[in-house]
Amino acid sequence: MARGLSRFLVPLLLVAICNAASVSHPISDSHRSAALDVFVPLDGSYKSLEEAYEALKSLEILGIDKKSDLSSVTCENVVKVLGSPSSALKDVFYALSVNGILKCKSGEDVSKDIVSKLQAGAKDAKLLLDFYYSIRGLVLVKEQFAGTDPSLGDAAAIFRSIKALSQSDGRWRYSSNNAESSTFAAGLAFETLAGVISLAPSEIDQSLIQTVKTGILKLFDSIQKYDDGTFYFDGSEGPISTTASVIRGLTSFAASESTGLNLPGDKIVGLAKFFLGVGIPGDAKDFFNQIDALACLEDNRQGYFHAIYAIYLLRLVVHHLRIMNKMTAEMISVEKTIICATVVVYDFRFSVPLILSLPSTVISLSKKEPLKVKVSTVLGSKAPALSVKLAQALNSKGSSVINNQELKFDADSATYFLDSFPKNFDVGKYTFVFEILLDESANEKAYITEAQTKVPIAATGAISIENAEIAVLDSDVGSVESQKKLDLTKDGGVSLSANHLQKLRLSFQLTTPLGLVFKPHQAFLKLKHESQVEHIFLVKTSGKKSEVVLVKFLKLRLDWLLLKNYLIYLLATDFLGLVEKLYYLSGKYEIQLTIGDASMENSLLSNIGHIELDLPERPEKAPLPPLQPTDPYSRFVPKAEISHIFRVPEKLPAKQLSLIFLGLIVLPFIFFLIGLTRLGVNIKSFPSSVGAATSALLFHGGIGAVLLLYVLFWLKASSQKLLDLFTTLKALSLLGVFLLFVGHRTLSNLAAASNKLKSA
Amino acid sequence: MMNLSRSVALISLFLLPLLTFSFSVDNPTDRRVLVLLDDLSLKSSHSIFFSTLKSRGFDLDFKLAEDSKLALQRYGQYVYDGLIIFAPSTERFGGSLDSKSIADFVDSGRDLILSADTSASDLIRGIALECGVDFDEDSSAMVIDHSSFSVSDVDGDHTLIAADGLVKSHAILGKTKIEAPVLFRGVAHSLNPTNNLVLKVLSASPSAYSANPSSKLSSPPQLTGSAISLVSVMQARNNARVVISGSLQLFSDRLFRSGVQKAGSPNKYEKSGNQQFVTELSKWVFHERGHLKAGSLVHHRVGETDEPAIYRIKDDLEFSVEILEWSGKSWEPYVADDVQVQFYMMSPYVLKTLSTDKKGLYHTSFKVPDVYGVFQFKVEYEKLGYTTLSLSKQIPVRPYRHNEYERFIPTAYPYYGACFTTMAGFFVFSFVYLYHK
Repeated sequence: MARGLSRFLVPLLLVAICNAASVSHPISDSHRSAALDVFVPLDGSYKSLEEAYEALKSLEILGIDKKSDLSSVTCENVVKVLGSPSSALKDVFYALSVNGILKCKSGEDVSKDIVSKLQAGAKDAKLLLDFYYSIRGLVLVKEQFAGTDPSLGDAAAIFRSIKALSQSDGRWRYSSNNAESSTFAAGLAFETLAGVISLAPSEIDQSLIQTVKTGILKLFDSIQKYDDGTFYFDGSEGPISTTASVIRGLTSFAASESTGLNLPGDKIVGLAKFFLGVGIPGDAKDFFNQIDALACLEDNRQGYFHAIYAIYLLRLVVHHLRIMNKMTAEMISVEKTIICATVVVYDFRFSVPLILSLPSTVISLSKKEPLKVKVSTVLGSKAPALSVKLAQALNSKGSSVINNQELKFDADSATYFLDSFPKNFDVGKYTFVFEILLDESANEKAYITEAQTKVPIAATGAISIENAEIAVLDSDVGSVESQKKLDLTKDGGVSLSANHLQKLRLSFQLTTPLGLVFKPHQAFLKLKHESQVEHIFLVKTSGKKSEVVLVKFLKLRLDWLLLKNYLIYLLATDFLGLVEKLYYLSGKYEIQLTIGDASMENSLLSNIGHIELDLPERPEKAPLPPLQPTDPYSRFVPKAEISHIFRVPEKLPAKQLSLIFLGLIVLPFIFFLIGLTRLGVNIKSFPSSVGAATSALLFHGGIGAVLLLYVLFWLKASSQKLLDLFTTLKALSLLGVFLLFVGHRTLSNLAAASNKLKSA
Repeated sequence: MMNLSRSVALISLFLLPLLTFSFSVDNPTDRRVLVLLDDLSLKSSHSIFFSTLKSRGFDLDFKLAEDSKLALQRYGQYVYDGLIIFAPSTERFGGSLDSKSIADFVDSGRDLILSADTSASDLIRGIALECGVDFDEDSSAMVIDHSSFSVSDVDGDHTLIAADGLVKSHAILGKTKIEAPVLFRGVAHSLNPTNNLVLKVLSASPSAYSANPSSKLSSPPQLTGSAISLVSVMQARNNARVVISGSLQLFSDRLFRSGVQKAGSPNKYEKSGNQQFVTELSKWVFHERGHLKAGSLVHHRVGETDEPAIYRIKDDLEFSVEILEWSGKSWEPYVADDVQVQFYMMSPYVLKTLSTDKKGLYHTSFKVPDVYGVFQFKVEYEKLGYTTLSLSKQIPVRPYRHNEYERFIPTAYPYYGACFTTMAGFFVFSFVYLYHK
């Protein structure tokens, strides 16, 4: 389920990534600079020989020389692997592959052990990968070490045992135990079989080769296709790996002697377009697969393609198949062998695809730039002599503007260009259809191109904006109250005022360089209130009118008028109908006009000015203006500091005043003392007996002590814990008892003395 | 009804799991990141973005969005610290994953990068909506800008936007200014004005609008001008971070490597600002920057060093707090001039900006107000792009004790005098009265 979905999504996504898929670009310098980022060695070498091979091969194809930086450490590994008889087949294969690029070990001195190990591996292999590594390894030995004889003993038997892994749908299994088949494995198998053919001491039976070719044709039935003519193979290893594997297998199979392979040209171009459409993969493996597959497509020039004959044969086959519908199953199998035979008899190999690319698909009419077209091979090398024809240029309505025009060739920059456009060529979107015509019959055989390349072209130009006016109209009469000319290229300071019964009219003319009316994609009028509430009016075409009529629509509307081929955009805003949309917000509105289009080089955003609107009061049921987003910068500003305001202490009189009053308070006491002396106060009745005098002294001392206790309590209680309220009360109660006792004695003594006096 | 469910979703998003913080406090950067793709070829086409993440030590786990074994949790524990969803077309996730479990994931304080694209699925829109981001409802609409598009040779419809409306925040986008415009091709979104946690990081120019480039407009576009957000971020109340982009291509190798020249501008840049923008943004979202940590709040009376159990009104106190910022590897002192402390009871009585010693220590001193009650020291630090610090410490404040008032008041001298003269008079009078003859 998941895989099915992902398969479905692959094309979707690839289309999304390269939405300009119909314009393929050959491998360029951006690929080269990206390659250096993708293949970054760690400490001067790669993690494995496989990675080293992929990096070196990609860099070699792209023409980047990094061998000297990498050779020392990598070569050490290569020599180590090739020197040890216990190395795994996979390591040996990749070591030999790396050796083919770096030439670490050359001459004739490859270890006999390695060769015999590979030969034994090929003989005893059960798994497809073992076949692959050992046989491709032997092919590499043959290429690199002239002195060794890597030929296979019983090539036909090996061929058969590999063939036994194939499936009826053209795909292959990795091992005989595993029923799961894969397209990726098919590519590996073709490569291996090509190796078997080239290593065979005697020629392989043609009938065996034929069955493989039938398999290849079957495999092409499962090819996937996009609408724009891109082809690819899909599999569990991902489309890039799978397609690259198949291409690698097919090229080596086609390259091996005594085979011939027929592949339709459109599929080859389609496969090339697939790899070019991928862009620049960021994954090293995908990058290698892309570059290697494109190199395979480009390098295969050994054969010649008899195009006419192939078409003839294919027609023949179709014709046969039509007859076959009425034939028996036996006859069908016979017919199939006929197809195989035709494929074998006519020695076809596939051709080098040529890619048409445009450096720019936007033509600026105001700059008078020519339209440039480049034709090159997929890796960006020079194409043979050919001519490019612009078969058609279709405008957005589907009618052809340019027909059958041949492009001029500039030999210096190797570009084809179209420098003059017909007079009726205006701004807009076009679809250009190019055809490539190969010169000379010899080239036609080795190269293949798309029949037609469709390229979307945008022609841009300066649109003239004229007669811009803004006016406030009286709704009922349509009379112009205030009218102002505008220059939309500058921000104007127009200042208008209106109420809800009036209309605002904005009109302007847009014409293309050819003087035709121009309808932009974007024509907005924006009214923006101080409180950021805004309303956008779409400047919309609504029909042709011969004269200016302001219709009493309650909505904003635009009428466009054709007057001498000029289009007047007329925007009449009736404030009566608008009040609700403007949420009854009276006040200053900014007027902003935006005109833009993909074909318009002078798209503009103009602040026309402002209008003071006087709208009625908001009824209760009317909707409130929407909440406006808060500015994040203002949200995060620090808060204002707060410092506490302390309670003000009560106002007190000056200290001097208190001292004066203290003096006044003390005065009565002084008068009292003075008064006492004036009255001649004496203490003559103070008891004379010792006992009574002692108790009187104790009594007065006690009173003095109580008073002193009060003073001490007042003075000291706060500063020293000694005299708090409780200790003071305790002391007071003791003194009180004492005073009671001595007071009683003193007073009774005094009473006794006075009684004695009376009685005497 | 829609509003209600939205607000419920928002509330649940922000309130539920405030306390379940996923990161270890000492090392807040995410480590394990799940990458959901709707096609594994994205791994290759967006490889620069992924490899920069890997080189920064992230453990990326690539899964197809439809993978039937998808799960964020195992045995009730989250297996991942971060989630990258690069699957704009996915209608349903595989396994146990759905928009609710993604909301829960964010609720648990974990981070999310979500990228939509044109024709984004309802699932992706739904997840974005929970974060306060509304994508344009028209599924064929793209951001078009006829004034600030990228002068690109293959693009004739002005949908490849060269945007330079970047948010001004060193925390989010790093200290190095992004010079080159950021290339964007995708769908517009707007921010929910009631959600103040979400903000625009990359906004469109005033001339932009959201529409289908290949058909004529019949009604005014929903989104125009600077109200369009191209890339937004949200930082939830639990400091979970979310990046929402309207373009998947923004992260792609192709736009990373692409040169850029904004229409009408003479400046031509070799490389677009995308790589720097995306790398800095990913540093922010995975808590490699802008993550603050505060030590405990320290306070004491002036001249003392120990923290008292209670303050008396009008005490002079000193307050300090240490704030550190996570740099991705270690905690560095955080230097700013806008950290504030509040002395708070129902409302702030004192609010002071702290002064810093540039080593991460912030301090101030003030007088305790003459209001008694249970106060709090509060440091609530919110700054654009930084995690929110919210610290508080309770401290009671008592009034004067009876013996702490002023004792010998000059104004009362007459009263004192009256008392003592009366006492002295009584003492003298007692002699005169008793012994006069």
